[in-house]
This record gives sequence, structure tokens and C-alpha cells, in this order.
Amino acid sequence: MKKIILILLIAGSILAQEIVELKLPSSNKVVIDLRFQNGSISDPAGKEGLTYFTANLVTQGGTDKMSFSEIQDFIYPMAASYYVNVDKEVTTFSFAVHVDFLDQFSPIIMDLMLHPSFNENDFQRVKTNQQNYVDQVIRASSDEEYSKMALEDLLFRGSNYQHMKQGMSESVNSITLEDVKSHYKNFFTKNNLMIGIAGNYSDDFLTKLKSGLGKLSDVKPVIPKPGKALTPDGLQFEIIQKDNAFGSAIFAGFPLNITREDDDFAAMVVANSYLGEHRKSYSKLYKLLRETRSMNYGDYSYIEWYDNGGGNMLPPSGTPRSSNYFAIWIRPVQIAKQLTQQYEELKDLEVGHAHFAFRMALMEIDRLIKDGLTEEEFEATRDFLLSYTKLYAQSPSSRLGYLMDSRFYGRQDYISELDGLLKKLTLNDVNNAIKKYWQTENMFVTIITDKSEAGPLAASIKENKPSPMSYSNLVKEGLPEDVLKEDEAAANMKLNVKKVEIINSADTFKKEEKKVDL
Amino acid sequence: MKRKTLHMLVFILILSGSIISAADSVKILPYKIYQQKLDNDLNVVTVPFDSPGIAAFYIVVRVGARNEVEKGVTGFAHFFEHMMFRGTDKYPKEKYSAVLKSIGASANANTSQDRTVYHMTGNAGMLELMFEIEADRFRNLHYSEHDFKTEAGAVKGEYTKNNASPYQQSFENVRNTAFDSHTYKHTTMGFLEDIVDMPNQYDYSLEFFKRYYRPEYCTIVVVGDVTPEQVVSLSEKYFGSWERGNYESTVPVEPKQTETKYTHLQNGSIPAYLSLNYKGPAFNDSEIDMPALDVLSSLLFSQTSELYKKLVLEEKKVRFVGGGALDSRDPNLFSIQASLINVSDLQYVKDEIVKAIENVKSNGVEVESLNKTKSHLKYGFAMNIDTPDNIANSLSHYIQLTGNPESLNILYGLYDKVTVDDVVRVAKQYLVPEGLTIATISELEIGGVK
Repeated sequence: MKKIILILLIAGSILAQEIVELKLPSSNKVVIDLRFQNGSISDPAGKEGLTYFTANLVTQGGTDKMSFSEIQDFIYPMAASYYVNVDKEVTTFSFAVHVDFLDQFSPIIMDLMLHPSFNENDFQRVKTNQQNYVDQVIRASSDEEYSKMALEDLLFRGSNYQHMKQGMSESVNSITLEDVKSHYKNFFTKNNLMIGIAGNYSDDFLTKLKSGLGKLSDVKPVIPKPGKALTPDGLQFEIIQKDNAFGSAIFAGFPLNITREDDDFAAMVVANSYLGEHRKSYSKLYKLLRETRSMNYGDYSYIEWYDNGGGNMLPPSGTPRSSNYFAIWIRPVQIAKQLTQQYEELKDLEVGHAHFAFRMALMEIDRLIKDGLTEEEFEATRDFLLSYTKLYAQSPSSRLGYLMDSRFYGRQDYISELDGLLKKLTLNDVNNAIKKYWQTENMFVTIITDKSEAGPLAASIKENKPSPMSYSNLVKEGLPEDVLKEDEAAANMKLNVKKVEIINSADTFKKEEKKVDL
Repeated sequence: MKRKTLHMLVFILILSGSIISAADSVKILPYKIYQQKLDNDLNVVTVPFDSPGIAAFYIVVRVGARNEVEKGVTGFAHFFEHMMFRGTDKYPKEKYSAVLKSIGASANANTSQDRTVYHMTGNAGMLELMFEIEADRFRNLHYSEHDFKTEAGAVKGEYTKNNASPYQQSFENVRNTAFDSHTYKHTTMGFLEDIVDMPNQYDYSLEFFKRYYRPEYCTIVVVGDVTPEQVVSLSEKYFGSWERGNYESTVPVEPKQTETKYTHLQNGSIPAYLSLNYKGPAFNDSEIDMPALDVLSSLLFSQTSELYKKLVLEEKKVRFVGGGALDSRDPNLFSIQASLINVSDLQYVKDEIVKAIENVKSNGVEVESLNKTKSHLKYGFAMNIDTPDNIANSLSHYIQLTGNPESLNILYGLYDKVTVDDVVRVAKQYLVPEGLTIATISELEIGGVK
């Protein structure tokens, strides 16, 4: 089913107005998700960020009848809300309103979608914010999110998946109001729309909604084929240096050619949960790096995109993707500049913990590829997931979102189908999948770190130098022998390093990145 | 539990009326809050909610950064939250992790100024096991000195990740500048020098556990596919014999601020930023001050406010402006933030914000705007209570403040009573220059805002 949809997408003749319904008569609200099968991959070259811009100008602008301000005034007492979420392949406008005000709010929904004002005033406001995001915010707010974006920039280089959905400095600057109007007409149309609705609504309301949205542009969008992640030759490191970074934030990844569409995915869900379930203290990476070695705040792994990992405890919906990659997230570890100041016994240290932490993570993946999970580990992880995955979709809005994502992958209800697949899994399925899909030889690695750390760290990695873990005496004195032995193995692990580059933070996300000499 | 025992318990509870039903059609929370205090003063709160098979199990401990009164131990409440995952004799670390995993829950904890919350949301059929392992660690936590020292590194890692944001750095400066004596002077994370020294505080950690991890500091909140009888019965079974403590920390009273204070962070990596922090009141559900300030902040800074329309939409000098009072047990800050387009507008934006505040003091606000704001607050809340977690979180917020989940309903009742005079009075009382701390972030060496 999914393959057929994909072919249709590529061909440009997209199915019209698929409806996903979730009737909840006892709910006090109605949630409407209007999802367009169109995301940042359809940004024209040189206008990267246009889809994001266009969608945001709809939600941050007015209509032909009301200004943005007038809309806000009108919906304020209702506490009705709306926002848009843009991803690589889909864009979702979400509206929520209390049932008491559904009839008053629905004309606003319709006018925003059918008659956005797209005026110069709103355009300039949205533009300056988006420009600021790509110029400053991404580099200065969270080094973790920054390293994740930098990883995608490497993994998808040269494809339509490479750029951030917000675009790049030059491309955002070049976007015009005419670009936005034309993009909306050509890519947000009744021919690539999926309507999702959840809550306490009537059939009559849905009929009117469908009929109203039938007046969207009739253009048949030509959506480009989604870019695929590149497999690097060896381990390729990009170290991004900035002033006054307090630690080294690490993301690493390589292509993973399966998605929720594939039944094999369930095996990888188990393997990944065992290795690095998001924000869970019982996964291996977390235990090795944080719990045993006191290195950082947490360490996780991913087999698909996980939006805003720093903020979300459970995986949100709304970002279905056909191009997957495996990723390791090592939250900021200590750098030499800090450690030398904090502990007398480390005063001569030249490199912080990043090299060791990365080796330790890879060593565990190697071990998993070689030995796999035990029967007990498999059963425990599967049982955990059978319960845990039910928590993904609790609210009307997240339930609806997951149902809509399911359709993207050619499924009806991913969470319940995953339940069935998990129950059928065997230990061999999981261990075979690990061998089939995971490796540690070829990977992109991005590290955001302080200027003082970048050079010594790059040299250490490039020359495959031993990277002994530098504990403070306080921690070191109580470490058991097996931990120290494991440390030694990790510190001396030979990595298949093929490339190490340093770039300045200001030069990231540019067509021509300037490399700093090592 | 055997069926017969359960029936007996229900019968006794009904007879004694000891489960108090707080159902009331006009209350903002449309679900009954069942509340019962055990003999050891452990408060037990249950809210049955239609979430088939799912329950949220929270324990609110009324200890946070506020209680860190001794020198050198800032950040300790938060650090201790980490230690609570380090096991007991019955469930040592590895076994605890395995049991936690077997529950299949979304489980974690977090700490703020006034409380530490431990939460587990998952299979309601596992409720008894949740009770068992929570009671075990709350009563019998036991970690080695080495584990204690090791966990301190994770806290430093947390500080490290947070510190990447200049806003977080400025936030630390604001607290340190605005407060002189009160423990709100430091953030929940604590001062860096204290975080670095944490591994040396093992003995203090034992004392900390003895002081605060006691029934009188705790409230159990269970929301979802459960009954109050089941929750009370499990609470009795696992927490009933937990011994009450008697420690009370003396939190220093903040002296009255007499003049405007300033703090500046030189950092050109983000847009120029301004924050105005006025000394506000403590949360109190029997006074109108905090509800009036909530209404005032919405009137002044929401997307429908005149200030927002002028600075953000018309003049485009500001990307964002927002603000409001922090709910807390002791008087805290009413903070306003603005992210600017040009650093040269810092003084102008500050003046405009103050002008908007002074306008309320002189001319009041329109009754129609007031009523719209009240409606916004109520509908906004009503639409958000759609999962056991959301409800448990909301109740936990008010439990930390007053110890009573009903404060939620009481507060929303108070919103209805806020008058124009109340709004004007709280503006005059709290939003004054002598209670203000101005924080700026810009590329410039000095903040330069008067």
C-alpha cells in the first residue's frame, strides 16, 4: 500500500482529501488537523525555507476579512488556538476549540485556509523571525538541537532533505511575497490534503468542513522525491566550534532503510529501546555513560526522527518521514577547559570526554551486533514496549496525529499494529535485524564544542589516540574493576576515522562551509 | 487485595465519610477530587478519569530549591531527586531499573523551587507494583557513597546542557540579583560551585532524606482508570506505617527592595533581550492578588494586548513580549520578557512596557476586556485537561503551593471575582520601580537601560 502511495506521490497525482476521523462524543473540544502532503522537501533550490515561511504566514497573518490582530481578538475569549507544524514531507495546520465555540471558530479556519491575506506587513514580521532563527537562534539556544541539525546537514548533503525546514540564511533572505503566494497555490491544495478531526463534532459539521476545503486550489502538486541519507566512507567528524560552549554536544548517524511501513521495523523498535530508549534510565547507553560514569545528563538512540527530544518525553506525531536514519544522541559531556578548573587532579588535561564517550557508545553497538540481546533482555524490552507504546497517543490530538501518521506509512493504526508485530517477534528477529541494519564503520558525527576544545579533540580523533576517561578522584576511587577494564577497552578502541574537520559556528548551514585548518 | 477486604474498606470509608467528595458543577475541574489524609499526614488524592487501562501516579514532595537554606548546598533538592533513582536494599539500582522497565510506564521526576514531583504514567493494572516500588524508595532509599558521587556528574551534565542558552544564564543572574536573602536567589540547579562540590556532600544527603522524605511533606496523586477506594487502600498498605518526621526549614525572609537593580549579560549571539522583574506576592488561594495579577498580565501582554499590537505587529521593534507572575509559596517575581529586533531599542521598549503598566494604574482597564480574559483563562484550562497526566500535573502545581488540590478550583473561582479595581490595585502595589530588577542581554558591554 505504502509503495503505491509513494509512486503516486512521485508522479505528482496525489490522492484527494483523505479523511481521518476520531469521534469522541464525551470530549469538550474539537481538534482539526489539516495535513498537506508537502513539506520542506518541496522548497525550490535557493528558496529553502519557503514551505515553512508559507505555512507560518498563514497562521501568523490575516484573512481577506480580518487582520491577524482582529482574529486574535475574536478568538481570545474562546481560548481557541491554531498553529502549524512543518516537517520534511508533511505540513499540518492544527486547530483546537471548545465545543461551545465550534460554529464561531470554523469560519476563521475556512478563511485562513482559503483566503489568507498574505500581506506585506505580516510578511515582513514573519520573515524577520525566520531569518533570526536561521542566523542566530539555532546556533545559540541549544547545542543539542544544533548538533542534530548539523548532522542532517551532513547526512542529506546535496538532497532536498539537507536543509533545516526554516531554511538557510541566504535562502530565507531571498524569499518574496510572490514566492509565498505561488507556493501556497501550488503546494497547499485540495489534491494533497488529508483532513483529520477528533472530538465532539457532528457529521454535518464534517460534511461542511470537507465541502469548504474543496475550494482550496485545484493544482496538482508535483512533490519531489524525498532525498535519502548518504552512507559516508568511514567515520566522518564535523566539529563545530563556538565561543563559550560549556560542553561537547554530540549527534551521530547513518542511513536506515526501513520505516514504520516495514514489519521489520518492530524488531528495530525493540533493539533501539534496549540500546537507547529516549529519556529512559534502563537503556544501555544511559547506563554506561551517565549512570556508571557520571559523564552527562543522558544518552539515547533513534531509528526515526524524534522531534524536539529536549522537550518531549514521549514521541510526538506529525513528522512522518520516508527517509530514515539511525542516530545516537550523546548529551553534552565535559570539556577540558571546565574540568581543569574544577578538579586539581585534572589540571593538565588537554581533551575532555567527547572522544571517550563516543567510543564507549560505539563499543556497545559493536557488542550488540556481535552478541545480540539475551532472551531475558528481549522479553523485558518487548514487554516494556507493549505497555509503553500505548502512552504515545493519550490526548485527542495525539491520537489523531498518530492515526494520520499511520496513513503516511500505509497503515491504519500504527500503535495497534505495532502491538501485533511486537507480540509475534522472536529474539532471532531482533538480533538478525541488529546485524542487518546496524554498523559502526561508516557514520557522520557532529560535535558542537568550545573553541578551546575543538583543536585537541579533532587531533585526538584524527590520530585515533587513546582517550582514557578522566574521572575526578572522587568518582575514580570507587569504580569497580570491571568498569575500569571496560574503560580501557573503550579508550583504545580503533575507530574507522576517515575525516575530521573543524568549522566555525558562523559557517554552518552554508553551501560552501569554510573549514578551519587542523 | 481480597475482594471481601476491599468491600469492608469501602463500607468503612463511606460510613466515616473520610473520603471527601469535592464534586461541584461550577468548579473548573469537571471531575471529582477525592482526598484523604492518612494518620501519618500523608495526603492521598484520587481523580477517577475515563482513560481505559491508564493511570498517572504522582508523588508531590513539598521540598525544592526554597528549602536549600544552608550555605554550599544550593541545587540539593534537585540532586536528591536524581539520587531517588539509585535503589534500595530490596530493589538495588539494577533491580529497580528492571522493575521500572517492567511497568512499561513513562516515569521520571522533576524539581522546582517549591517541590519535587515523581511521576509514573502507565498501565493502571500495574498500580500496586507502582505503589510498592515508590513506597520502597521513599521509605528505604539506600545508595552507596560512590553512587552518590557518580550521580553528581549527571547533575553537572544537566547544568552543562542548560548553560548553552544565554537566556538560562540571564535567568540565573536575575535570581541572584533580585534576591538578597531568600533562597529564591538561586535557581533549582544551584550555583555552579555548589554543583561541583556536590560529591563531597554525602552526609548531608542522608540528612536531607531524613528531613524531607516524610509523609507530612508528601501527597500521592492518582488520576485515571482507578477508584479512590483502591488508591486509599494501596496507600494504607504501602505508606500507612511510614513514620512522620518533624523537621521544618526556616526560609529567610527577603527584605523589602528599595531601588531598581540591574544585571547585564554581554552576549551577541542572540537578539537583544530585556526582562523586567518586579517583586510580586506569594500564591495564596484566599486572596485576590495573584488572580488579579494573572488577569493583568494577560491584559498587558497577550497577543490581543495594545502593547503587543504596537511593539510586535505595528512597529516591529520586538519579536516577542510576554510576562506574568510566578506561582510560589513565598513572594516571588512578576517577570516580563521581550526579544528585540535592534539593540538600540532597549530603552524605548522598556519605556513602552512601563507606560502600559502606568496606563493601567491611571486609567484602569475595560470591563469587557476583563471579562474576555476571564473567559480565556477558563476555556484555556478546560480544553487542556484531556489526559491523566495533564490533570495530575495541574493538581500537583496547586498541591505544592498550598498542600490542597482544591486550590485549583478555588483559584478559578477567584478569577470570576477579579474586578477592575483589583487589577489597578495590584498594578500599583507590585509593579513599582523600587521592586524592579532589570536584566538585559546584548552585544554591548553594559545594559544601558534605565
